Amino acid sequence: MAPASGSSLYPRNTLKRIIRAHANRTLSKNVDILIFLDYTLFLQDLMREAAIRSKRDGERGISARSIRRVRDMSLRKFKG
Amino acid sequence: MSEPERKRARITPRNSTANEVVPDEETEETAFATLHQLGRIIRPTSTPVRRPSSAGPLSGGRERNRTPNIAIRTPGSAARTPRGGPATRPITARRGAPTTPHAIRALRERLEAARTPGQNRRKSGRGQRETPRDTLRALSRILAKSTKPTVLSPDGDTQPPRNRNPALDDFDAGPDMERPRLSMPLGDLYDDDSFHEAPPRQSMLPDLPDDVDNATMQSLEFGRRALSEDPRRRFSTRLSGFGELNDLGPEPSEFEIDGAFINRRPRMDEDELLLGDDDVGDEFDDNTVELRALMDRRQSRLSELEGLEDDDEEPDDPTFRFIVPQRVLREASPVVADDEALGDEAPDDDAGQTEDGEYEEDEDDMVPPVPDDDDDAVEAEDDIVLDEEPDFEDPNEEVVAADLQAYREEEAAIDRSILPGPDPTTAKKAGRRRRELRVSKNGTEYPEFPSGVVKKLANGFAKSQGINSKISKETLTAIMQATDWFFEQAGEDLADYAQHAQRKTIDDSDVIMLMKRQRQINVNTSSFSLAQKLLPRELLQEIRMAPPGKVKRPRRTRMETIQEE
Repeated sequence: MAPASGSSLYPRNTLKRIIRAHANRTLSKNVDILIFLDYTLFLQDLMREAAIRSKRDGERGISARSIRRVRDMSLRKFKG
Repeated sequence: MSEPERKRARITPRNSTANEVVPDEETEETAFATLHQLGRIIRPTSTPVRRPSSAGPLSGGRERNRTPNIAIRTPGSAARTPRGGPATRPITARRGAPTTPHAIRALRERLEAARTPGQNRRKSGRGQRETPRDTLRALSRILAKSTKPTVLSPDGDTQPPRNRNPALDDFDAGPDMERPRLSMPLGDLYDDDSFHEAPPRQSMLPDLPDDVDNATMQSLEFGRRALSEDPRRRFSTRLSGFGELNDLGPEPSEFEIDGAFINRRPRMDEDELLLGDDDVGDEFDDNTVELRALMDRRQSRLSELEGLEDDDEEPDDPTFRFIVPQRVLREASPVVADDEALGDEAPDDDAGQTEDGEYEEDEDDMVPPVPDDDDDAVEAEDDIVLDEEPDFEDPNEEVVAADLQAYREEEAAIDRSILPGPDPTTAKKAGRRRRELRVSKNGTEYPEFPSGVVKKLANGFAKSQGINSKISKETLTAIMQATDWFFEQAGEDLADYAQHAQRKTIDDSDVIMLMKRQRQINVNTSSFSLAQKLLPRELLQEIRMAPPGKVKRPRRTRMETIQEE
């Protein structure tokens, strides 16, 4: 397939397999896109919180520590 | 006619005497006294119950009523002026004298009503209406000139208050002692030498160094989830109870770390020294689950590199060997079916490594800088690590290996079977190149979400947050862990929703419901608007046209046309 430059395509089958493994159910046709959308929102939230945290801590980039600190909060936020 | 004359004769002397008395006796009195005197002289006011307003014409009546008032009010000789006399009254000229007793009485009443203080009051409120306020005002006018506003005594002089209260002198041992306050310190509420030096702050929380806000916020957020829904709990159950003793939930441990009582810096440095590039950083002791998983991953990587290390441990674990061929058999068929349904990735299955090929190719195509799942890539990564921290490799391995060994000795065989760390020998026998395979709660293995996609996404979001530096490898590892947890959480939630709807398949509505409950979708934001913001166009189009039949073929063409733009 042609390289999708810039856009964040993802391996759909991998995602489907991940979800299928966790849910133990089959997926309908385009659910994985929505799930990926949800994941994108989650990642956005995570990065936003981590960036805020890193800025407050005076780090230059986003450190793994700040990610780890905000990870639980973001996960809980995205618990359905 | 005679009767008004008599009446007038009776009235006027009284007025005149009253007016004469005032200047004679009490010339020096105040206006108040004068008026008071006048009020005493004037007949006690007896307003008639009803004023006979219909007795006469308005103009005449008014004029008649006013004249005696003038006669009364004018001091001194005013009463004797011919104007005030009854002869000039127009009513007598216009109208005959009242002859009937009724009329006489009416006239008398009217005259008396005219003399009532009501009229005076109506014209000016002074005099007879003396209120305490007036008295006080007069008093204040008198007093205002002589008195001064009270000034608070300056703080410096401690002598006068102490002298004022002799009982306190007994208490005070020396003269230099602090003067006790017996009243509100109005002047120096915020005085420096006051005995409260600083207002007490945050008695509940210790002085947390820099994470205070988030810590409290998190502590306030605790109650939102039931403890059973705590993600860490869930993961720990998935990994079959490693951290049940240590993992009492993420927050207390984090607090312990975060708080002022534990010095965080050196600990982190220690951990970095020990466990260099892995995700084990500073949460070594509180995040046991993650640590275990990562150690296992680390172990797998190590064992791929130098696979003989664990061979003496693994052979006593028979379940592990069985899993791998099982997985290959079991996962090959659905993948093939899936690819056939999707249509375009079927050729990849010919390569014998069923989903590996397709998966890697996807990854290769989309994210070229991402390292492959090959052993070379793993080695390359580790080489990079070695280049970064050359001293860490050996102690790292030792520590991880020792930990893992201890852990495997103490854990049950069932737990080991679920552990994601694959046996290197079996992995090599199966010819798989995957770095690691995780096992879900259901016992299904699943690949890791490609880190290249995550990295790209995360970089984009970081850039949108104004952070331009690239995401480090360590950070990416943490994000990948979060990704793994997120997909696990989402998958289980979606399964619950589908089960609730008595469906076997996870539907779009389940994801919509999930996003609604995550408060990502509300009245204002639909999933489509979110997708429009976040997803690339190809995926967006697929969502939008709820696709009948074949999807991917048209998507390809469309995507190419988009890219040519």
